[in-house]
Amino acid sequence: MAHYDVIIVGAGAGGGVVAGVLAEAGRRVLLLERGAHLSYDEIARDHLRNHRLALYGHNTGPEPDGHPRVFVDPTGREQIVRPHEGGYHNNAMTVGGGTRVYGAQAWRFLPQDFRMASEYGVPEGSSLADWPISYDELAPDYERAEWEVGVAGDSDASAQHWPRERGYPMPPVTPCGAAPALQRAAAELGWPAFAVPLLINTTPYLGRPACTQCQHCVGFACPVDAKNGSQNTMLVRALASGNCTLVTHAQVDQVTVTPTGRVNGVRYYDAAGQQHNIQAEQVVVAAGAIETARLLLNSRSTAHRDGLGNAYDQVGRHLQGHYYPRVAALMPESVYDGIGPGVSIATTAFNHGNDGIIGGGMLANDFIVLPIIFWRGYMPPEIPRWGSAAKAFMRENYQRVTHVMGPVQDIPSPLARVTLDPQVRDRYGMPVARLSGTTHPETVRAAEFMWQRAREWLTAAGAERTWGTPPGLSLSGGQHQAGTCRMGEDPRTSVTDHWGRVHGHDNLFVADASLHVTNGGFNPVLTVLALAFRVARRMDAM
Amino acid sequence: MEVDLSALLSERQVLILRVLFDTLIPPDDYAGAWEAGSGNYLARQLQGDLADQLGLYRRGLDALDAEAQFRHGMAFAALDEVARNGLLAQIEQGHTAIDWPIDAAAFFGAACQHAAEGYYSDPGNGGNRDQVAWRMIGFEVKG
Repeated sequence: MAHYDVIIVGAGAGGGVVAGVLAEAGRRVLLLERGAHLSYDEIARDHLRNHRLALYGHNTGPEPDGHPRVFVDPTGREQIVRPHEGGYHNNAMTVGGGTRVYGAQAWRFLPQDFRMASEYGVPEGSSLADWPISYDELAPDYERAEWEVGVAGDSDASAQHWPRERGYPMPPVTPCGAAPALQRAAAELGWPAFAVPLLINTTPYLGRPACTQCQHCVGFACPVDAKNGSQNTMLVRALASGNCTLVTHAQVDQVTVTPTGRVNGVRYYDAAGQQHNIQAEQVVVAAGAIETARLLLNSRSTAHRDGLGNAYDQVGRHLQGHYYPRVAALMPESVYDGIGPGVSIATTAFNHGNDGIIGGGMLANDFIVLPIIFWRGYMPPEIPRWGSAAKAFMRENYQRVTHVMGPVQDIPSPLARVTLDPQVRDRYGMPVARLSGTTHPETVRAAEFMWQRAREWLTAAGAERTWGTPPGLSLSGGQHQAGTCRMGEDPRTSVTDHWGRVHGHDNLFVADASLHVTNGGFNPVLTVLALAFRVARRMDAM
Repeated sequence: MEVDLSALLSERQVLILRVLFDTLIPPDDYAGAWEAGSGNYLARQLQGDLADQLGLYRRGLDALDAEAQFRHGMAFAALDEVARNGLLAQIEQGHTAIDWPIDAAAFFGAACQHAAEGYYSDPGNGGNRDQVAWRMIGFEVKG
C-alpha cells in the first residue's frame, strides 16, 4: 500500500503552500485535488459561466451534476442546489482553488481583527471570539506570503496601518478608472485612501511577466500568468522538488484512523469511481471551509462517532464569509479607461472605531464590470430592463457608472453551519454538505453602516446620483467562506489549536480559511496563505 | 455557430420571437437583439442549458400572439412599436386579457433576460455579433 509522509486534501491556496514548504523540506507529499488542472483555454472567457456570473455553470468546477449541496434558506425552506445555483456557496474547485480565478486582493487583517471579542464584547447569540494568536505572531507569515507568492502594493501607505518589517516586492497597480476622483474625495473627507494590494505582478516577478491590464481579471484565469496563486508559485515549487505527487479528480471522503482512533491516511475516489486507501504519517485538510468541515464530519469511526475533531460539536459551525454592501454612482463623465483589473483604490478608515458598530470593513472601487453583469445588476432601479430606455442607458452610461463596495466583517453565529445532509449524496455516495443558518444581525447593521460610507464617498467624488440597497439577513459563505474549524485553546469551543492542529490529534491539521476565528473586514486570501505557511512551519518542526 | 430555430419553433413562432426580441432590444444606430444574434443564442440554449424552457417559449409565443389578436385584432408581429411596447408593459406586470397557459410575467422575464444575455455576453455564446453590444457601450477587449 502506498505510504507518504504527508497527505494534503485540496490544492487551493492553503494546500499548495503546505505542499511547497514540506516537499522542499524533504517530506514525501501526496496532494489530492478533487478538481482538474485546467488550462487557460479550458477556463476561457465565458461571460455566463464564470466566478463573477455563474448563470449556467462554472468555469472552474465542480461539474453541474453529481455534486449537489442542500441549502436551507433563512425561512427554513430547503432545496437541493447545483454548484452554480444560489445557496451553493461555491468556490473554484480546481488546482489553485479560488486563487486561479480570483481578484487577488492581498490584505493583511488588522491587529484588532485578531481580538474582536476583547475589542467589542460578544453580542448575544454570537460566537464572536479572539484568535489564539495575535497579528504580531502572524506578521512573519504574512510577509512570507507577500514575497513568495508575490504582492504588488504601496509599502509606505500600508505601513501606516499595519506594523510591518518589510515592504511589498512590487510597486502598486496604477490608479485607473474612478480612482483619481475617489482619491480627491477621500482627501476632502479626511479618509486615508491608497492603492489596493494585489497578488498580481506589476513587474516581472519570480520568473513570470507583468500584468497586461486585460479586462477579464476577476472570475477568470490570467492570459499571461501574471496573477499569483498557489498553482503557479508554491505548487510549482512542490512539484519541482521531486517530493510531491499531485493527483487530480480525487474526491476524498474519509480521513482514516486506526482501531484506536489515530489518523493514518485517507480514502479517496478517482474519476472512474475507484476507491483508494493511502496511508501517511500526517494529514492536512485544506478543502475550503465547507468541504473541510464536510470531510471531517464524514470521517466517522468507532473511536470518533461524530467525526474527527467534533467531540464538542464545533466542526462546521460559525460559517462566515462577507457581506458586500455596494453602491453604484453615475459620474459626470466617463470614468472608464479599460485598464484592468480596475480595482485600485481603497480606504480602511472604517474597519474599526465606528460608533455603535461591531467592526466594519474595507471599501474599494470595483473591477471592470462585464457588460452582461452591468445589465443585470448595475442599472438604477427605475430604468426599465428593456426597450429603447434600457439600451440607451447602457450605451450612454456604461462608462459613467462606477461602484464602491467592500467586505464587511462577519459577526459569527454558531447556527450558521455546515452539517452532513442525512439523505442527499454525491456521485460517490458521500453525504453532501447541508448549509443552514444566517450570520448574526450585527453583521447587517455593520453592512448598512458601510453602505452609507460607500455612498458618502461616491457623493463626495462628484456622483450625480447613487443607487443600490444594503444587504438583508442571510448566510455568508461563498468565495470567502471561513470559520468552520476555528482555532482556539479550548477544545470545547474550537476545533484546532493555535497551530491548526486538530484537538486530540497530533498528526491531523487544517490549513485553509476554516481556521479563521473571525474573517476580518478584508478579502481573506492573504490570511489563508499566511496561516498555511504557519501550519507548514509547525509541521516541518515536528 | 448559427443554429436553425425552425427545428424548435414553428415559422410563425420564430417571427413572433424575432419581433419580441427586437422590441426588448430595438435596433437603432446599433443592431437590435435579432440582428446581433440573440435568437441564435436562444436557439443554442434551448438545446442546452435551457432545454427545459422550450415549452415555455412555444406556449408563451402563441399566447402573446393570441393576446395581441384579442386586444388589437391583429398578430403581435403586425403591431406598431407603440402598441407592442404598451402590450409588453402589461404582460411584464402579468396583466393579460385572455387566459395564458403559463405565467405571462415569467415568460416575459425569461425572454427579457435571454435577449440581453445574447446581446451583452461574449460572442462565444452565439450572440453579440462582431461585439456590436460592446462597441456600443465602450467595452473593448484589448488583452
